Amino acid sequence: MPRETFDRELQRLQDELLLLGSMVERAIAESVDALKRRDFEASRRIIAQDRDINARRFAIETDALVLIATQQPMASDLRALAAILDLASELERMGDYAKGIARINLMIGDQPLIKPLIDIPRMAERACSMLHRALDAFARRDVALARAIPSEDDEVDALYNQVYRELVTYILADPKNIDQANYLLWAAHNLERAADRVTNICERVIFTVTGELGELNREGNGIEDLPG
Amino acid sequence: MSETKIQVEHLNFYYGDKIALSDISMVIPDRQITALIGPSGCGKSTFLRCLNRMNDTIPHTRVEGRVMLDGVDIYAPGTDVVELRRRVGMVFQRPNPFPQSVFDNVAFGPRVLGLHRHHDLHEIVERSLRDVGLWDEVKDNLRQHALNLSLGQQQRLCLARVIAVQPEVILMDEPCSALDPIATLEIEELMRRLRENYCIVIVTHNMQQAARVSDWTGFFWLGELVEFGPTEVIFTRPARKLTEDYITGRAG
Repeated sequence: MPRETFDRELQRLQDELLLLGSMVERAIAESVDALKRRDFEASRRIIAQDRDINARRFAIETDALVLIATQQPMASDLRALAAILDLASELERMGDYAKGIARINLMIGDQPLIKPLIDIPRMAERACSMLHRALDAFARRDVALARAIPSEDDEVDALYNQVYRELVTYILADPKNIDQANYLLWAAHNLERAADRVTNICERVIFTVTGELGELNREGNGIEDLPG
Repeated sequence: MSETKIQVEHLNFYYGDKIALSDISMVIPDRQITALIGPSGCGKSTFLRCLNRMNDTIPHTRVEGRVMLDGVDIYAPGTDVVELRRRVGMVFQRPNPFPQSVFDNVAFGPRVLGLHRHHDLHEIVERSLRDVGLWDEVKDNLRQHALNLSLGQQQRLCLARVIAVQPEVILMDEPCSALDPIATLEIEELMRRLRENYCIVIVTHNMQQAARVSDWTGFFWLGELVEFGPTEVIFTRPARKLTEDYITGRAG
């Protein structure tokens, strides 16, 4: 096999990326869980772990550039490396969303939650599931799966709209709720954005396999009259 | 795509009974660079040499099909092969300047074509050397022996020798394989400049070179043209599995 060294390195980089993906997935799930349980210790841990996520992203980026410079990959190999570069940065940003949610937990502080969290954990669950399968689609080069996942973003958007409307009623009922409602809305917004980024990942999976670059599920992002 | 310069139609080429090129059809555009890639023995150099009938000199060879240069078949009876090779010049793997001065190398072609006035010859020599970026390096000593130049300079001199007879097409058979990386990049830059005025066809083993320099790429395999298309497509998303395997280093 004339490209053994390259194939081995590409596989290693892909494994590193999947590891980064699982770290981000866990960070998102745990950040919401910590918010729900008001576990400040867990939130602080998530914030600290974000540094590892960032460091891994930079390591993947560096290794991918070295591989491009030293092995001159072409065609599907080049596309895979371009996708790895892109995915690493998508994942890192998703890690930032988890860190943001962890911070929100700390910012809300000792106040009791104005409402039990139901839809926000659902959003996190959906986003994590989408992310998990999108990375699986990348590992297996599964175009059909990559095409199917983005439509699930509509469910996340619907949940976000629901959270928004509900929080507005809490604000209207008692203006003292404004600060916390804002924080919770921001947490929901982070999850909505995380799910959007899964769509980007799916687009890159399709690009890796077919060479086609295009947007998936972007006709109207399903969010009602909200910025972002 | 710009205007067609060469149109190859169902070209077969035989060495004795052995078929070396099989049913090749290709449109080579003017004022663009077309790269031919493929493993050793795939027929790409044989194909290149069909474009100015250089293979005529090899005994027991036979050509079928047509090679149209500006719409006229160069294999038609009565073709003036000397004139054809003026119009379709060639640069080879190793620089092959004549063992003469720099000036005489470049003036060789125009002299054969009947030009003898020193003033006219000087003008052509200067223009040709300027075109290949060699003028400033040799202008102070045009009488120096060509073999005193570096290999990179010699290869540019050979290009100047081709250009001096005002060709329309320049064929290059691995023009950089004997050159160091800097001289290689100089030739590549030169090709990009010459592309403004000439149709260039290059055979190269160096895929990165094909990717860097050409507008169109043809991939040959076992005497067949597997795929031909815009270079950016061939090197990022080729249509054929065999092309993909070759350019990613998994076949050949």
